[in-house]
Amino acid sequence: MSADGDAGLSAREAGLAACRACGALHRMPGGGAPTLIRCARCGAAVRSRVPRSLQRTWAFLLVGLAAYVPAHLAPVMITASFSGNSADTIMSGVLELARLGNVGIAAIIFVASVVIPVTKFVVVALLASSLHRPGRLSRHARHRLHRVTELIGRWSMIDVFVIAVLTALIQLGTFITIGPGIGIVAFAASVVFTMLAAASLDPRLFWDRP
Amino acid sequence: MSPPRRIAFDALIACPACDRLHRRLELETGEEARCARCGACLQTRKPRTVDRSLAAALAALVLLALALGTPFLGLSRAGVESRISVLDAVGALWRGDFPVLGALVALGVVALPVARYALLVAVLAPLRFARARAGGPWARRAFRWALALEPWAMAEIFMVGVTVSLVKVGSLARLELGLAFWAFVALIGIGAYLSHALCRDTVWRALG
Repeated sequence: MSADGDAGLSAREAGLAACRACGALHRMPGGGAPTLIRCARCGAAVRSRVPRSLQRTWAFLLVGLAAYVPAHLAPVMITASFSGNSADTIMSGVLELARLGNVGIAAIIFVASVVIPVTKFVVVALLASSLHRPGRLSRHARHRLHRVTELIGRWSMIDVFVIAVLTALIQLGTFITIGPGIGIVAFAASVVFTMLAAASLDPRLFWDRP
Repeated sequence: MSPPRRIAFDALIACPACDRLHRRLELETGEEARCARCGACLQTRKPRTVDRSLAAALAALVLLALALGTPFLGLSRAGVESRISVLDAVGALWRGDFPVLGALVALGVVALPVARYALLVAVLAPLRFARARAGGPWARRAFRWALALEPWAMAEIFMVGVTVSLVKVGSLARLELGLAFWAFVALIGIGAYLSHALCRDTVWRALG
């Protein structure tokens, strides 16, 4: 316990709260109805802990998960050419790239569209449930996992930009046209909501003493 | 109720990751202080942080202008040539009835990166050139927004997307990379340098 320096006070225990945006410390009014306090330095809302952090995290995560299903079932890209229309899902696009020998590019899309989002769902759910019932994960492990989820989520947007670029670029009129399928909108929504879920999870909660 | 008084910044610092209170240290240039409990970075003291960050933010704005306004990809097939810039792409998506995709690119690749670097310049330039008039409530709000925009500004992710597109359509047509592509590549480098050079703590304290 004391080996990791757990002996000191937290700002909350000292009746203070640090602004999440700029770090300025504020004295919090004790007890009574919660009032919204604006940071005297940068104007952000100052909260000792993100209010209803867990509820928000679960809500955003479930919306992200709900959007992730149609993102894989519905086509993300529709190619129209002489030989007719073809609709690609995320996975069929990855497999097609691999079949054509672009294994590296297929791997990039697979990691951005499947590995990162799924890892993020699992890790955020794990972290959130560890706050309901502390499990085997040490606080240091949770701390590191949380940092990683915050950093990697945005890279999932790669496939969205690929389809945006292809749609805008391939306007060769009669030869071929490429357009986005509804799946890519669901996918973008899934990424945004999962980013919001990770941002709603207040890491300071991992360290609060019961 | 009277507004809460900001307590002495210079005496205490709370860990942003775990909330443990620490006494603020006077660091030498190049040193950093880490939380005794969770190991998160509490304080840094980077050499000439305002100069270097301002230079990087200005360079990023110039690169962004190139990256957005000039073609990033040229494509030719059967004598038909088309070259496309990011702004063209946004327009094409919008007109082509794909407003959601257009808006995602417009926000993530155009509006938010431009806003982020412009806000940084607006905050840092007065600190560098007119210290007496630097700071104030607007500068502090601007700096807060510049930091908050960071995860949502996705220019470097777009660049990877362009690279992937290049391979995907490589079999359909002859492609060449435009100036903007290299501007995006340079932008990634400048962005990394900026995160490395910018000492938030120093700037917050300079802003008052």
